[in-house]
Amino acid sequence: MYAYTDFDRQFVRARAAQFRDQLDRNLKGELGDEEFRPLRLQNGWYVQRHAPMLRVAVPYGELNATQLRQLARIAREHDQGYGHFTTRQNLQFNWIPLTQAADVMDKLAAVDMHGIQTSGNCIRNITTDALAGIAADEQIDPRPYCEVLRQWSTLHPEFAFLPRKFKIAVTGATEDRAAIAWHDIGLRLLKNAAGEVGFKVLVGGGMGRTPVIASEISEFVPWQQILVFIEAIVRVYNRFGRRDNAYKARIKILVRAEGQKFFDAVAAEFRQILEDDVEGGAHLIPQAEFDRVAASFVRPAGIKPATLGIAPAGDDTDRPLAYTRWLERNVHAHQVSGYRAVTLSLKRAGQPPGDVTADQMDQAAALSDNFSLGELRVTHDQNLLLPWVRETELLALWKAAKAAGFATPNIGLITDMINCPGGDFCALANARSIPVAAAITERFHDLDAVYDIGDIDLHISGCINSCGHHHSGHIGILGVDKDGSEWYQVTLAGSDGSTLSGPAVAGKVIGPSFAADEVPDVIEALIDTYRANRASGERFIDTVRRIGIAPFKAAADAQRTSTATASTHQAVAA
Amino acid sequence: MQFIRTQHDLWHTRVGEDGPLAHPQPYGHALLTLEQWHAVRDTWPTHFATGVILPNTADVAQLAADLPRLKLIALEFPKWVDGRAYSQARVLRTRHRFEGEVRAVGEVLVDMVPLLARCGFDTAKLRADQNLESAQRALDFFAGHYQGDAVQPQPAFARDLGRELARHHARRSEEAAQFAGHGI
Repeated sequence: MYAYTDFDRQFVRARAAQFRDQLDRNLKGELGDEEFRPLRLQNGWYVQRHAPMLRVAVPYGELNATQLRQLARIAREHDQGYGHFTTRQNLQFNWIPLTQAADVMDKLAAVDMHGIQTSGNCIRNITTDALAGIAADEQIDPRPYCEVLRQWSTLHPEFAFLPRKFKIAVTGATEDRAAIAWHDIGLRLLKNAAGEVGFKVLVGGGMGRTPVIASEISEFVPWQQILVFIEAIVRVYNRFGRRDNAYKARIKILVRAEGQKFFDAVAAEFRQILEDDVEGGAHLIPQAEFDRVAASFVRPAGIKPATLGIAPAGDDTDRPLAYTRWLERNVHAHQVSGYRAVTLSLKRAGQPPGDVTADQMDQAAALSDNFSLGELRVTHDQNLLLPWVRETELLALWKAAKAAGFATPNIGLITDMINCPGGDFCALANARSIPVAAAITERFHDLDAVYDIGDIDLHISGCINSCGHHHSGHIGILGVDKDGSEWYQVTLAGSDGSTLSGPAVAGKVIGPSFAADEVPDVIEALIDTYRANRASGERFIDTVRRIGIAPFKAAADAQRTSTATASTHQAVAA
Repeated sequence: MQFIRTQHDLWHTRVGEDGPLAHPQPYGHALLTLEQWHAVRDTWPTHFATGVILPNTADVAQLAADLPRLKLIALEFPKWVDGRAYSQARVLRTRHRFEGEVRAVGEVLVDMVPLLARCGFDTAKLRADQNLESAQRALDFFAGHYQGDAVQPQPAFARDLGRELARHHARRSEEAAQFAGHGI
């Protein structure tokens, strides 16, 4: 993990002090609520339905046990005792009174954490592969680059008030576990023919009302130049991005409208920075700086690759089925022989996807201390992951994880759904998403059936802002509002860009929206259609692609009860 | 960063009942709109101190040839959350090497001030209701920043951060010492 320097540490404390000053001015009436809003947003503070929401940055998803314990403490002392992990690898609290906000920021700063740029129209927390630095299929560890980018983007004075939010994702592995094509900028680390490291750069991806897959703007930017190249992109966006309509303000709209002209403008800006600007080369990354940062990401002391003949845990010859399934679904290949990465599932009945109580945070911290050198990751699909687990300790970990409720062997399966907090918490939401997730979890409570269904991405968003990534789900569910009641639009065959899902693409709407009580039946009908039509070895997404969405749509329509007169709801689907 | 109060402002616009005068007569410390400047540029005496107000949709490069004649460029924030003028200021300073005054006008609020300063603005006309003390305080929270900017082009990785921190702390304790003994 990145180790904070004195500079980093005083920086987050200075930010906390600055926020305290702003909050004080707001509370005494000098700074109005409307004008305080963008300032608090850039520190992670939203105002939600019941209370402010705080989004804490977990840079590229890396967290240590001390930090997680501090988050548990904050949950207990300031919140109602729980938090929620997000698709952008952050953690959200829902119940902290704004008057306590500055104290909470001080507590975060005490463990090198903050909420900087987790919201607002600025460059957001950079995300990456949850298996960065440990993935068996990794060519280049993205984390040092993520950290260099994090530092560069933090309180960038020119880019604090962009037309809209700006998200960057990075991957360095064969498998794209960061959904880079769905981001404003997607970066793929690779080596050119000469063996030099650089980035393939995608630009203009995004979800929301107009889902767009990012386009390639450069096939290879040498790593030393990446800050300059991104500066060029963001400056062109700051200048030309639309500001008249929030729904058309993301860079995707600019890229789509301007096409090659946008690419040319970026190329010209990039050239001018390097050729014309005072100290234009100042942000070329020197090898020494890369090495300094990369030193934080070396394998922790004590990691010893196993020599020949890895002995599996000796006492698991007579494995319980649950353990076998856990090994199959929650345990992942590792770069270091003798080690495995293990997902702690946050998808279980009785709790919203991604939610953790303060006690569970402490338990996860303890598991990471006992089995993973005190390190954890937050995954893009809202689980926790232990990066440094010895194969010989898997059985012991399974028992401990099971006791703590983290061992549901469902990673990548239908109950491992992505889900936003929805209308229960979020002021933006048009519909609730947690009850829908709960109803589906309840419907698919039988693990044998869940295993039979196999790999599937089910993504649920409570509104078109798409925090639950419904566009990229094999099955996507989107909450919509019509005449003050909640409806759910269902999409099929979306992809996040993984090998299993195919090239990134937005799912297709299968017809007018469904009523909340129809949704579990609709999902079951879709699954049944798959089971009835699948060829041997075919996964849900494969079958949908092969036979098309018509049979699925017919099966879904057959479930309509309250929306039987579908024509009256056409407008909802539009 | 200097905060401009209207009553002490040397610079004056020429506005008639129907908006900016199309062809203002020459005068000193004239703050002209881009259209006015274009209309009078060829006949405007060079000995008058002249400034231009640039809308935030304009490309600053179009003024490049005129910059040696201009003492001030005012950049507009029609809404404070519209950040285009930050890029304009940065480019004016670092690409066109403009050394005159770069002023923030429009909806300019206290909490923009640190960003303005770093992007190369040296003066700001705060909205009338803004508190000067708060604006001054807003400038001094950070000892230094990660990325380079118009004032400090070098990013943190190219600077001596230890020295920077020590200097910041020394200044802070000096300020604190000035208040010592003043009582509460």
